[in-house]
Amino acid sequence: MAEGGVSKMAEGELLIKNGVVFDPINGVKGEKKEICIRDGKVVAELKSPNVKVIDAEGRVVMPGGVDIHSHIAGGKVNSGRLFRPEDGRKGVAVRTKVCRVQSGYSVPNTFATGYRYAKMGYTFVMEAAMPPLAARHTHEELVDIPILDNAALPLIDNNWMTMDYVKTGDTDLLAAYVAWIMKATKGFGVKIVNPGGTEAWGWGKNCGLTDAVPTFDVTPAEIIKGLAEANERFEMPHSIHVHTNMLGHPGNFEVTKATYDLVKGVKTAKDRQVIHTTHTQFHSYGGTNWGDFVSKADAISDYINQNEHATIDIGSVILGDTTTMTADGPMEYSLHQLTGRKWTNHDVELETGSGITPFLYSGKVSVHTIQWAIGQELALLVKDPWKVALTTDHPNAGPFIGYPILISMLMSKKRRDEAAEEMHSAIFKRAALPSIDREYDLNEIAIITRGMTAKALGLHEHGKGHLGVGADADVAIYDISPEERDAGKIQKAFLNTKYTIKGGEVVVKDGEVVATPAGKTYFVTPECDEGLTEEMLVKLKDKFEHYYSVNFNNYPVQDAYVPNPYEIKASWSG
Amino acid sequence: MQTIKLRLKDEVSGGVGGVARVPVEADSLTPDKLAGKSEAEIKAVKVWWGNREEKTGDLFEVSVEGEEGEGEGEEAAASADEVKVVFEGDLSRVKHIGDGMKAGEIEANGDVDMHCGAMMQGGKITVRGNADCWAGREMKGGELVIEGDAGANLCAMYRGEMTGMTGGKVVVGGNADECAGQYMAGGEILIKGNAGMLAGLNMQGGKITIEGDAVMPGADMTGGEITVKGKVLDRMPSFRLVETTVGEDGGEYKKYIGDLAMTERKAKGVLFVK
Amino acid sequence: MGEVTDVVCSLCGCVCDDIVVEVEDNEVKKVKKGACAVGKSKLMGHGRIKSPAVRERKGEGESGELRECSYDEAIKKAAEILAAARRPLLYGWSSTVCEADKVGVELAEEIGAVIDNTASVCHGPSVLAIQDVGLPSCTLGEVKNRADLVIYWGANPAAAHANHMKRYSFISKGFWTAEGKKAKKLVVVDVRKTATAKMADVFLQIEQGKDYLVFSALRALLYGYEDVVPDEVGGVSKEELLEVVKMMKEAKFGMTFFGMGVTHTGGRHNNIVNAIQMTRAAHTHTKFSIMPMRGHYNVAGINQVCTWETGFPFAVDLSRGYPWYNPGELSATDLLIRRECDAALIIASDPGAHFPGESVRHLAKIPVIQIDPFPNPTTEFADVVIPAAVSGVEAEGNVYRMDNIPIRLRKLVETEYLADEEIVERILQEVRAIKEKEGKEGE
Repeated sequence: MAEGGVSKMAEGELLIKNGVVFDPINGVKGEKKEICIRDGKVVAELKSPNVKVIDAEGRVVMPGGVDIHSHIAGGKVNSGRLFRPEDGRKGVAVRTKVCRVQSGYSVPNTFATGYRYAKMGYTFVMEAAMPPLAARHTHEELVDIPILDNAALPLIDNNWMTMDYVKTGDTDLLAAYVAWIMKATKGFGVKIVNPGGTEAWGWGKNCGLTDAVPTFDVTPAEIIKGLAEANERFEMPHSIHVHTNMLGHPGNFEVTKATYDLVKGVKTAKDRQVIHTTHTQFHSYGGTNWGDFVSKADAISDYINQNEHATIDIGSVILGDTTTMTADGPMEYSLHQLTGRKWTNHDVELETGSGITPFLYSGKVSVHTIQWAIGQELALLVKDPWKVALTTDHPNAGPFIGYPILISMLMSKKRRDEAAEEMHSAIFKRAALPSIDREYDLNEIAIITRGMTAKALGLHEHGKGHLGVGADADVAIYDISPEERDAGKIQKAFLNTKYTIKGGEVVVKDGEVVATPAGKTYFVTPECDEGLTEEMLVKLKDKFEHYYSVNFNNYPVQDAYVPNPYEIKASWSG
Repeated sequence: MQTIKLRLKDEVSGGVGGVARVPVEADSLTPDKLAGKSEAEIKAVKVWWGNREEKTGDLFEVSVEGEEGEGEGEEAAASADEVKVVFEGDLSRVKHIGDGMKAGEIEANGDVDMHCGAMMQGGKITVRGNADCWAGREMKGGELVIEGDAGANLCAMYRGEMTGMTGGKVVVGGNADECAGQYMAGGEILIKGNAGMLAGLNMQGGKITIEGDAVMPGADMTGGEITVKGKVLDRMPSFRLVETTVGEDGGEYKKYIGDLAMTERKAKGVLFVK
Repeated sequence: MGEVTDVVCSLCGCVCDDIVVEVEDNEVKKVKKGACAVGKSKLMGHGRIKSPAVRERKGEGESGELRECSYDEAIKKAAEILAAARRPLLYGWSSTVCEADKVGVELAEEIGAVIDNTASVCHGPSVLAIQDVGLPSCTLGEVKNRADLVIYWGANPAAAHANHMKRYSFISKGFWTAEGKKAKKLVVVDVRKTATAKMADVFLQIEQGKDYLVFSALRALLYGYEDVVPDEVGGVSKEELLEVVKMMKEAKFGMTFFGMGVTHTGGRHNNIVNAIQMTRAAHTHTKFSIMPMRGHYNVAGINQVCTWETGFPFAVDLSRGYPWYNPGELSATDLLIRRECDAALIIASDPGAHFPGESVRHLAKIPVIQIDPFPNPTTEFADVVIPAAVSGVEAEGNVYRMDNIPIRLRKLVETEYLADEEIVERILQEVRAIKEKEGKEGE
């Protein structure tokens, strides 16, 4: 391995033959093709005469799924589990010879998280929000999630250091801080969540895009722009990953568009987007209140269609009960006030915060129905699937286990129409979904669930999201014919694979987990000038001396927390 | 009508090595699950005893009187109405008696352990003794009669849930310990003795009648009705006295609404105190 | 080795990490800075269990003598006891590191045990309350930088968490609180005038067991229903309550810390539900948060580990192969009072000293395995005693502070003693070997 450390890969050879392969990164759109695997990697041909063979005759073969945004590990997720034993009891399953115990539906335990993703054919998941001060916690849980390769995005936007440098305009020093945090947390990329708003929440307040953050005297807009520029000081595999301001507020689509415009001119250090906005469904709202609330997925999609610097994931709603959780503290408080259900909040000194509250999405409620439509509208109205990723912002808009439902919806107009008939009539008046005829094909599904996500994260250069020679042998074989159009059969096939292969090893067979190898943790090491770093550290150490409640030397995540590391170096690009 | 007698063997109730009283979990022994089974089949039904599954016949002396119901599966369930399960012996470490039961009748002759009648949907359970905590937890329907005392969390919710009992009828001959009817949303509870602390906590619907005394009844209630015929000790300081009325028994009752600690908008609970 | 800085204390939930010690000849010679008196004594070390041992009983009811033996023998004996048990209990886990806790959960799964931790006798009620209403809270640094009103309710940090006020709350200085306690208000609520109460601006002395009523009264007042609240609630006058309510409303950032004085009185976890409800009511006026004063240094950690691995924080029954959670039924004290268990493994805790008499009597009658660095009353009846390295002195590992911030304990000196993680792991392997053998014989 050129980069990173030890990787546990299955030894020996494996041949997948007769399958119909969808490998969009390599331009393979449903061709009958052999996949040759040796020592955990895809190879051009096999050597030994009696290799293990999987006959995928008539079935769909794709690279392992890559989830760009999901909350699966860390303090917030575990607070969700801890305060919802009523959710925990929903998903209990007896241990087996290979599997540990399982529990939970919207907040599954670590073991169930690994098993259920693997059964859907996913092999890489990005934990979308890691508070730096609690990064050890995130890593402790990631290690405990079987099978999946993983990474985590540290929250860097409400940090006092960030705001100080944004205010003084020292982008290079901000970049030095970003580099230090990335290394200290063993993080993957820059996460931004309600910039400024979460700091304001320290006083029970919130911030709009151009409001000044109390005391710090910078605006969220300036923070986003500053971090975008700092991120591009390095050849970071991923762009800034943004949860824009005013999540869940009617009329917020203007904020979302304004956010894209902020970074339009920023030059990237690699060939990819400048900004990825996440769970964009929650940020594509029109109207002025919940009474005149309408979908503005069309306006957001138009913007994405006309511009090349932004990508999105949809954060589509799955109907039913779930657990919402985000670093956006004020948003969770509003939601709790709306429902009266239990509410946990956890503000993190000098950095970030989080809120958690359960939520029930009901197809009988007009607002929820429109939300449900918006996520799918985004996927259907953005013309180029390389700009859009399938997510539910697990578990915020619904648990990841609902992906197969979404896939079947996107692939079947008929299914969408049938669903709409059962829902609140607002869907016909205040959403566009019923009027959209587009249906995804399997190639496009492969793009929004692995090709696009791997590329947007820069992981295609590290063997993820494709099946070209040299790629990781992460493969999903779905028990479905490429011609299948029946939504029910599609959903069923995408819930439980015929085979999931991870690093060359069969981990799921006929919908059952048969092996649970440990996943690798991917992290990025930006290479920063020592002089800049030294200058930055003077300021940072002062923060620790006076304001943090832990010591500087006890802050960085020790190597022991990442026993299966994969390091990606990001050189300075200036 | 078929009567299935299950007498817990002394060597089981007496405990492992005569020291540890490892509980038997009887949720697989409801009338609907046993309906249509022969004596031999009943003896083979698996029952958890600690961390091992045992055969019913190894833990209980089994005797069957009357005819078994016809058919299997759904048909058998229909005939559960004709099945009565009688538990005998020392039942104080038999948990989950009648847990999830849908139909038929259970009679438990003695004190029973926790979760008796939990998740019950139909049929009738009579406990000729005391019932330990969580009797009638999340009960949906049917009838539960406890001739002695009930432990804490009678008819309450499971941890973290916002709904406890939603239907059915429960009678406690003696006292009920704390948090009776927590998060209750429907159904009726009659407590002939006293109620411990916080009866009707978070109550949203249904009716609790306490013939004896109660401590801090109705805290955080947003709906439903609690009547206390004895004394109220430590009445919540966040209830508003509305009027004095005459109850069905001709007695004079003070009517309070609450709990205002949940804010006025939500405080739709009613507390009658004699 | 000389001076070691940034040492992390493995005593209470404060997990102070700014300690400086002097290490010489593989011994902590001196604690130079940072630790409180109790923390110092932990770091300096005291009487240890010298060797693994098993108890030789000659006859029925005979108390028997501990016979020193090898780690191998003690671990094998422990595995035999656990593999044979029908309802084993694995208890403790709060004064050790998360790495050991993880293996503990795996062992519990393997043998179909109930796994419980010391939360069930300290802040378990707080967890139950959180499961009912959630917990609006924050890290301790937030309190340090922002809080201008601190309330200690049923907690006496001056005695139990000696550095708490200085490092994190009333006496500390932070970004918006540079003046320290001069610019802050302190309210203490307790049944007696504690050392902490003596420092307070306002002290509410309430009647034993009446916390619930006082919380409800404060909520009603915070929501503006002055008319319904009686002149006196739980021994406190309405005027005093109104004064506290005024302070709460006027604060920029209010913080309530509560201790076992609230969790262990009439109403138990529902007192905490009500304390949290009071925090929410205050939050409609200003920023307000609340936090339990966790006792053992890693009790928060075992709750975290147990939750992410089983879905539930403590009192988890794995006997049927899946997790079933129910404190009040499955907490160690309940299980023991009810005489449900037929064997127990006690790690890093001392039920012999801290459990109710009835629980201890049952524990003394069943086979007990103890894993601990130090002898304690539990040792007196344990059948297998396995000494362990002291986490934070002789072994490293992850722990969670009372505000759930993870910090890594440092290893300061070398030791011959095995770490908790390794001991539990070896018991697990032995259990697996026994089961495999039984499985083969059964075929």
